[in-house]
Amino acid sequence: MNFPLEQPLFQFFYWLVNTPGAGAGIVALLIGGALLTFFLTLRWIFSAKSDEQEAHPYPPGQ
Amino acid sequence: MLQTLAQHDRDELIAPLYRFDRKFWGIVAFLAAITAPGLLLYGRQLIVGLGVTDLNRPVFWGAYLVNFIFLIGISMAGTVISATLILLKVEWRRPITRIAESLTVFGLMTAGLQIIMDMGRPDRLLFTLIYGRLQAPLMWDIASLTIYLLTAMFALYLQLLPDIAILRDTAPAAVPEWRRKLYKFLSFNWRGNKEQWERLEKAIVTVSVFLIPIGISLHTVTSWLFSTTVQPGWKSTILGPYFVVGAIYSGLGLLIIAMSFARVYNPHLKEYITEKIYTNLGWIFIVMSGVWFYFTLNETLVVTAEQETLEFPIMASKLFGQFSPAFWGMNALMIAATWMLLAPKFVSDKPSRNPLMKTPVGLSAAVIGLAIFSLLWLQPVSVFADPVFQTVFILAFVALLFLALLGVTKWLKTHLIPSSVIASSFVLFGMWLERWNILMPTLTHARLIPYTTYDPTLTEIAVTVSTLGILTLIFVLFYKFFPSISIWEVEEGRARELGAGD
Repeated sequence: MNFPLEQPLFQFFYWLVNTPGAGAGIVALLIGGALLTFFLTLRWIFSAKSDEQEAHPYPPGQ
Repeated sequence: MLQTLAQHDRDELIAPLYRFDRKFWGIVAFLAAITAPGLLLYGRQLIVGLGVTDLNRPVFWGAYLVNFIFLIGISMAGTVISATLILLKVEWRRPITRIAESLTVFGLMTAGLQIIMDMGRPDRLLFTLIYGRLQAPLMWDIASLTIYLLTAMFALYLQLLPDIAILRDTAPAAVPEWRRKLYKFLSFNWRGNKEQWERLEKAIVTVSVFLIPIGISLHTVTSWLFSTTVQPGWKSTILGPYFVVGAIYSGLGLLIIAMSFARVYNPHLKEYITEKIYTNLGWIFIVMSGVWFYFTLNETLVVTAEQETLEFPIMASKLFGQFSPAFWGMNALMIAATWMLLAPKFVSDKPSRNPLMKTPVGLSAAVIGLAIFSLLWLQPVSVFADPVFQTVFILAFVALLFLALLGVTKWLKTHLIPSSVIASSFVLFGMWLERWNILMPTLTHARLIPYTTYDPTLTEIAVTVSTLGILTLIFVLFYKFFPSISIWEVEEGRARELGAGD
């Protein structure tokens, strides 16, 4: 019978879940990704250019 | 017409932000006074060590962790409720979304403080990341909590953005320069043109879609912290959903209390936070209450029927033993809260001739019932340990609880907001006890040490009070800088009502 840990993919998963610091790396990636998404979203909102100069107090066209 | 109403909204909602009256300073002083002792005692804990608490092996989690789960719970509900109402385009949500979202952010902040307070050496906090392995549920908790906090802050900011721009553009001349700069910085170059609004709305909806599963993940991860250990009493697949339901339940309670506090502090808000909102939230409350009771029954019934060697003593300690006052107290509070919200819907406004439905009868029954419960809990004389005596007193307590609820029903019918606040307070206290009942019975019945005790020390009690003080203080200070009701959402709602478009 094949033992899963003989396969490189499972060896990688084993390394990933058992290595101190690797968990922090994943958490940092998740948090960094979230922060980057928020930053890009804000940039997208603020960069909106419109021909219309009028400012609306709430979403127009309701 | 619409412009007059819009100006009226701005006057009512913005003017109090610049008024630092005695009432404001009085509240701040009171909150600072109840926060200070806990902070001082925590300072002592920092110097002396965790020995000043009753934490020890095997009870390595105590009041701080109970507070943590409780605060995570109340914080989960705010944004999840707000996001759900936004996605469903529920109109009556408009005046309460801001308060709900801010409660999430403040709740998560204070929840994070509990973890630091629970660590004997908070300077080692970074080690959890440096040496943290991905297999550790604590790691998942850190990830989930941080992402939820950041997303909730982002959602709150997106909702606030147009209002900050209003504050930037309308600040009176007497406003300090630093405050003007703050509004200018936070609103960036928000101009409110059509395309910006379209993009903002898309972003709010997208964030709302993500917030619901992230919120649910946070609370189920907290339940995994328990379920993935080898401790008896925590190995339950329903623990995740049970935590989520309890979280929404207690979060609704805090939302109602916060709304009511805002109404009392600024009476002009009564025009926006109307009785209709209390009625609608009350119905959600009743539904959550039904689900919560079903899950509690499920959790209790399975373990009791199974009678597994390690699991059952823990359940027995809740049903009949050391933790029975907390367990039955929690259930009594939940029954009372559900009754308070449900029963008034089935009685008329007219005075009743039934003597059992008189308020003095209800209050007397409540006082006697409370006295009996206290005697059963504290057991001042040994006769209270006698099973026959105890049974009689328990039956008397149940009868008096019923009489008390029956007696106050008429009063509840005519006092919707006070009754909602009382019911919410019962739910909050009951849900704190629920977290206690999940943690403590298991920790005091660990596998290797069959029985031990845990009683929170003065430090832990003071820190708990301090935490509530900090939570309220942040709430009060935040709403001195930003309107507690979303101005643009209210104006949009008015425009829809009048069918005036923009």
